[in-house]
Amino acid sequence: MMRLIRAEVRKLATIRLWLWILLAAAAWTAGYTALAVGFSGRPGSLTLPLTGAAGQHALLAIGAGGAGPLVAILGAIGMTTEYRHRTAAATFLATPRRGRAVTAKLATCLLAGAGYGLLCDLLSLAVAVPWLAARGIHLPLAGNGNLAVLAAVIVSASVFAVAGAGLGALAGGQLATVTSLLIYLYVAEPLLTHIAALHDWTAYLPGVAADALTQATQAGVTLLAPWLGGIVFAAWAAALAAAGTLRTLRRDIT
Amino acid sequence: MKEGAGWIVVAGLTKRFGGVTAVDELSFTAAPGMVTGFLGPNGAGKTTTLRMLLGLVTPDAGTAAIGGRRYRDLPQPGRQVGAVLEAAAFHPGRSGRDHLLVYCTACGYPPARAAQVLEQVGLAGAGRRKVRGYSLGMRQRLALATALLGDPAVLVLDEPANGLDPEGIAWLRGLLRGYAGGGRTVLFSSHALAEVEQLADRVVIVSAGRLAGEGALAELAAGAAAVSVRTAHSSQLATAVATAGGRAERTGPGSLRVTGLAAAEVSRIARAHRIDLHELTAGHGGLEQVYLALTAATDREQSPSGQADRS
Repeated sequence: MMRLIRAEVRKLATIRLWLWILLAAAAWTAGYTALAVGFSGRPGSLTLPLTGAAGQHALLAIGAGGAGPLVAILGAIGMTTEYRHRTAAATFLATPRRGRAVTAKLATCLLAGAGYGLLCDLLSLAVAVPWLAARGIHLPLAGNGNLAVLAAVIVSASVFAVAGAGLGALAGGQLATVTSLLIYLYVAEPLLTHIAALHDWTAYLPGVAADALTQATQAGVTLLAPWLGGIVFAAWAAALAAAGTLRTLRRDIT
Repeated sequence: MKEGAGWIVVAGLTKRFGGVTAVDELSFTAAPGMVTGFLGPNGAGKTTTLRMLLGLVTPDAGTAAIGGRRYRDLPQPGRQVGAVLEAAAFHPGRSGRDHLLVYCTACGYPPARAAQVLEQVGLAGAGRRKVRGYSLGMRQRLALATALLGDPAVLVLDEPANGLDPEGIAWLRGLLRGYAGGGRTVLFSSHALAEVEQLADRVVIVSAGRLAGEGALAELAAGAAAVSVRTAHSSQLATAVATAGGRAERTGPGSLRVTGLAAAEVSRIARAHRIDLHELTAGHGGLEQVYLALTAATDREQSPSGQADRS
């Protein structure tokens, strides 16, 4: 299995995609962190005061918002590229037990997601800590429960990557997978979560459950407790991964 | 014996896609030490058959085994079977060398194998270029390089000559010959008879998903070429031909169609039996005629497989 994971890492590393996703995640995290710090404390600012724990949590959770959906796309493209470029045949010739090949890819996505999450953590700290320090605000790594948020960003990104790869294996088509992923995360789910009557129910949607992990506050949206959100989100990803694996085992590679 | 190492045995293989039967109770074998051509028109079910052989497509019925085992049951399949399925099946943004290294890693071969097979297929200078910039012939060579990575005892190639120039085909011929000469098994598909004539020792002809013929090339050509004869003593001649090992069928009053014997032999038999011939026409044998006749017959009648086996 280690061999197969190393092969999948090599696949990911030998095409440019990982770099674009990395740059996009970095730009998102650095950009929004800079905006949040720059506009905080000004009149009319929507961000919570960064002196308090809630404000600092929201600030550090920005990385999850950037890395999460982007690594989901990475996972989705990484999986569907096998069908788009017809390399699936060679992959399953090398590993005829397809379950093992898919598991290796899912594991690779999990690792890659964790790496991207860690990178976004480091980047948001690099932007926020010195800037806030210059304004006399202390952003402790371990204090205020900040470490838990930083860890949640890493967990969130890894689970997002697995969910994206699972969806890719289930759907098969690259364009269809990425489009449906984006429409779900940025259109369908935000619409549903703005219907207050459904709040008890929408808290269990995958994207909202992912937000619960970092407690990233969206005005007027009900979130689960972090641990429960994590379990719910992981369950969604596991379900997608299982369904995708099953589909892969059964499909004819024509 | 056909369970033995290197034998490819396809038995009763059937695959339906929706309402279309792509492969219909197909049975054939490919032996070690030989290049077997898998010949048939486009859409005859060749690709589907090879993909079933390699465990990529699940058959609706029948079995396909290599060395007595299904592909997915082979331990270390890459070391036993090398396959070329589609020349275009690469990520365009990956270099040829990186493509090979992925499979080296997945199968546990030393990374040096990548450079060796690139050398072997004549791509040593292009390994670091992205596949996007490869010509069709170069992609075909890279696909072959992938198949050769594990130094396998069996090669299964789907249309390997596609995109190769005459020089490339000559090179492929040398490669396949060398492989078979060393006692290994080569099975390749083609829709072009000329390619099969150039590359194969033995041919399996498929048409509309069914077996239309199987045998050594020369044998098939001779067996199916017919001699037309007209004589007043057709039944006597028919008996004499049958005694000599040929086959005669009546095509009209006083006319016979003889297969399995050359025109000169038919003439000699007739003279030995003092039978006057009014007409003796040597059939234009040639593999092309045979191929067209065999595939046309299956297309038209959807006749049961195995007819040409008896020839």
